[in-house]
Amino acid sequence: MFDWQILVANQHLLWYGLLTTIKYTIVTSLAGLAIGLLVAVGQLSRFFALRAAGRIFVEFFRNIPLLVWLLWSYYALPIFAGINISREMAGVVALSLYVASYYAEIFRAGIQSIDRGQFDAARAMGMSDGQAMRRIILPQAVRRMVPPLSGQTIIQMKNTTLLSVITIPDLLYQASYISSFTYKPMEVYTAVGLVFLVILIPLTWIARRLEHRQEGR
Amino acid sequence: MTVNDPKSAPLVRIRGLEKSFGNTRVLRGIDLDVRKGEVVALVGSSGSGKTTLLRCVNLLEHPTAGRIEIGGERLFHVEAGRDVARLPAAAIHRMRARVGMVFQQFNLFPHMNVLANVMEGPRTVKREAAASNRARALDLLAKVGMAEFADRMPDRLSGGQKQRVSIARALNMQPELMLFDEPTSALDPELVGEVLKTMIALAKEGMTMLVVTHELGFALEVADRVVFLDQGTVAADGPPRDILLDPPNDRLKAFVNRFHETADLMRPLIG
Repeated sequence: MFDWQILVANQHLLWYGLLTTIKYTIVTSLAGLAIGLLVAVGQLSRFFALRAAGRIFVEFFRNIPLLVWLLWSYYALPIFAGINISREMAGVVALSLYVASYYAEIFRAGIQSIDRGQFDAARAMGMSDGQAMRRIILPQAVRRMVPPLSGQTIIQMKNTTLLSVITIPDLLYQASYISSFTYKPMEVYTAVGLVFLVILIPLTWIARRLEHRQEGR
Repeated sequence: MTVNDPKSAPLVRIRGLEKSFGNTRVLRGIDLDVRKGEVVALVGSSGSGKTTLLRCVNLLEHPTAGRIEIGGERLFHVEAGRDVARLPAAAIHRMRARVGMVFQQFNLFPHMNVLANVMEGPRTVKREAAASNRARALDLLAKVGMAEFADRMPDRLSGGQKQRVSIARALNMQPELMLFDEPTSALDPELVGEVLKTMIALAKEGMTMLVVTHELGFALEVADRVVFLDQGTVAADGPPRDILLDPPNDRLKAFVNRFHETADLMRPLIG
């Protein structure tokens, strides 16, 4: 009853879609890491305005549905800001800012999870805040951040499927395109699901291993 | 233990120090001098402000008002809500580098082995070359009896071993003054002795020490002076025997009676 032949016949479209999905995952995750780090530093700042700005950023993006935010970025942002942005740009900006809010929380929580005594000991020997961060706090915090960061990045890859609603040709968009002229949605969407599982199950497994190694320490 | 010239300028000079957390006044005008080579024990019941006072000496805690000088240099001076000293952060860091601190919870750096812990201060703060730093670190580890543990990670040490490493770590900065914040309070009773022994050796070498402690035996036998804090004020200040064996006021008497027996436990360690 399955007609797998149509997948083989249209595999170039699927490969292109997969490449697009991977590309957007990598670009938006990297941009999200950079933005998230800035937001986390803002949230840990001694200046109220920076702390408030960081907090607002995080609360905004964590409490708006990604689909709504994505559509808004593409359709409404150009009208509000009076600028014309491509759908690729809208997609990158929307996904990057969204994941940045989650990364920011991971960074902040990681740094704040380090015992105050570590900061005391570093400062008591005359270290500046920067030295204490670089030599004492971050090396410990980063180890704790790796598992949640990898988990969030896996979610990010799944979230890129939403890009299809603004007609970016990711894996899901390509699948809907193929099914529109082959009338075989079952085969196509099954294949897309399997592709995600094949990529993400090993990554999830590695992330869990990292977590276990943390607990063992 | 050491003979002091009473006329020499104190190494630590604290005047009118106040500290509030919100509406709670923890320190209410503390005056305290510590002379070079002197061992001063800070005692008092919990909540009396002794740990806060100690943490104010190197500005881990920012006082609300008063004056602190170390080695004749002004470290802190706030009067009528105005910061008179206005020290830049770098000057405070330099001052802290001259003051060693040992914490109740050790606060060793868990991502570094014992030797790296001891070398970290001179390496990062003074940018000292590795060779001289390492040699001195190993000497200090030998002195606190931890030489053979140089490659161990801190999580594989007992509490007493951790505290001895943390003393070596503080000493490797070659401080003029050592602050101890209840260094034995987190230890199992059988591990207290090894840490106190290390501190006694240090005191005998003439190190200036300000020690917050519940070990009144240590205060009696090792300290040159005992300062009793009560509700954020200095309630008694004098030679250990006068303060602890013949308490000048009732609150001190009540405090001392609870601890008298520990003095007997300490004596064998001194000899």
